[in-house]
Amino acid sequence: MCRVDDLPPGSRREVPVGGENGVMVFNVGGRFYALRNRCPHSGGPLGRGVIRPHVISNGVGHFDFEREAEILKCPFHNWEFDIATGCALYDPSMRAKTYPVAVEDGEVVLTLG
Amino acid sequence: MGAVDVKPEAPPSPTRGPKLAPFIVDCDCHHIWHEIDDIFPYLPRQYVEQIRDFGPMLPKLSYTNVPNVLGYRADLEVTRNTNFAEFTVREHLDPYQIDAAVLTGGSVYGVVGISDVDYASALARAFNDWTLDTWVSVDPRYRMTLAVCPNDPAQAAEEIRRLGDHPAVVAVMLPAGARNPYGNRFYHPIYEAAAEHGLVMMTHFGGEGAGVTNPPTAAGYPSYYLEMRMARPQIAQAHVVSLVCEGVFEKFPSLRWLFIEVDTWWIPGLLWHFDADWKGLRDTTPWVKRLPSDYIREHVRVGTQPLEQPPRREDMRTFLDWAHAEEMLVYASDFPHWDWDEPRAAAAMIPRDLRPRIFGETARELFSL
Repeated sequence: MCRVDDLPPGSRREVPVGGENGVMVFNVGGRFYALRNRCPHSGGPLGRGVIRPHVISNGVGHFDFEREAEILKCPFHNWEFDIATGCALYDPSMRAKTYPVAVEDGEVVLTLG
Repeated sequence: MGAVDVKPEAPPSPTRGPKLAPFIVDCDCHHIWHEIDDIFPYLPRQYVEQIRDFGPMLPKLSYTNVPNVLGYRADLEVTRNTNFAEFTVREHLDPYQIDAAVLTGGSVYGVVGISDVDYASALARAFNDWTLDTWVSVDPRYRMTLAVCPNDPAQAAEEIRRLGDHPAVVAVMLPAGARNPYGNRFYHPIYEAAAEHGLVMMTHFGGEGAGVTNPPTAAGYPSYYLEMRMARPQIAQAHVVSLVCEGVFEKFPSLRWLFIEVDTWWIPGLLWHFDADWKGLRDTTPWVKRLPSDYIREHVRVGTQPLEQPPRREDMRTFLDWAHAEEMLVYASDFPHWDWDEPRAAAAMIPRDLRPRIFGETARELFSL
């Protein structure tokens, strides 16, 4: 797909394969993940959404943050997805398709299966 | 106030038909004074003097509520000398074999609109003492809601601590008209006290747009009574949504809230839409940890009256399923008002298998009866 150096931590790249909108490949802190770029909720280009931490709370009015940059919010309707698993964080019935990504000889390799 | 001139000689049957459910709770049985003078023995001198000089100073909007200022149905024969507590036993509790009737007041919903919170709190206290002496003492089936002044949470909490352990006291009443949506933390001392005493919070239509409360709709003041009634569900929804978003049920996990006379048709749509939007926006209120519908189904109950009347009777079952009627809806008569739901007529609209829960079991659990 590309050299590892071309996809540094925190970046993502859209690959025009596997249907409409293609596949989005992410580097999350040195780990690579790939998601079908189509939201299972209502078809939005999921991979182009805002990358966020998981926002939690230990009481009314308090904000806490965990899992920095591991959460993707779909541009359509803002649902949160776990980049690593494709699962919607707050709807167990929703999961975006994932693809295996590996690094071989300094190259990022996406397997469409 | 005679409705008819000639009446049959025979006394009415003591009961009206077979009992509708094994245990029947009426969650909206109104109790009102004839005149504000009735509570003078319980009011501090300065307020008695002020009322004598100027009248009740209970704000309200200029809508009617037919057929008369007391609100008793046109077919009910009441006079200045009627003992309302005994009348209600005779005309309502006995004929329908009601096991518990929650007294929801009505005379002092206007306290929420009074700018002088000391006067408002005193009126609420006096109304509660009067209720204990002249209603609760009349029949063991009566349970009461505590009137409080929502605009002074400290005094409201004090009143809850004063009477909250009385065995007949089951709830605290905040009228739907308000200065803020009820999730607002301004009110939390009231909920803390209610939770301490195991009391249900209750909200009945009333006080909207009166005195210092907000207009009945965000679009402004309805001109007519019919128009005003259509505003009730939106007011209730604003309170329900506020309670969830402000984390009231996270903060007070044992608290339950019963809404009365606010329609029920909105329940399914609100649950669906609230859940859907929460999935996209929950990180802006992360203390709302579960689906809004989870909180609402666990903590909120809604009175059946006025019961929905879909044009096709068979759609009622679908609607009740959508509204989670088996867990959320409790029978409320609204006796003695013109728009009440007569128990047998209400039962006819509710599938037989749901009647035990709606007419009694759910309320029995709610109020620990």
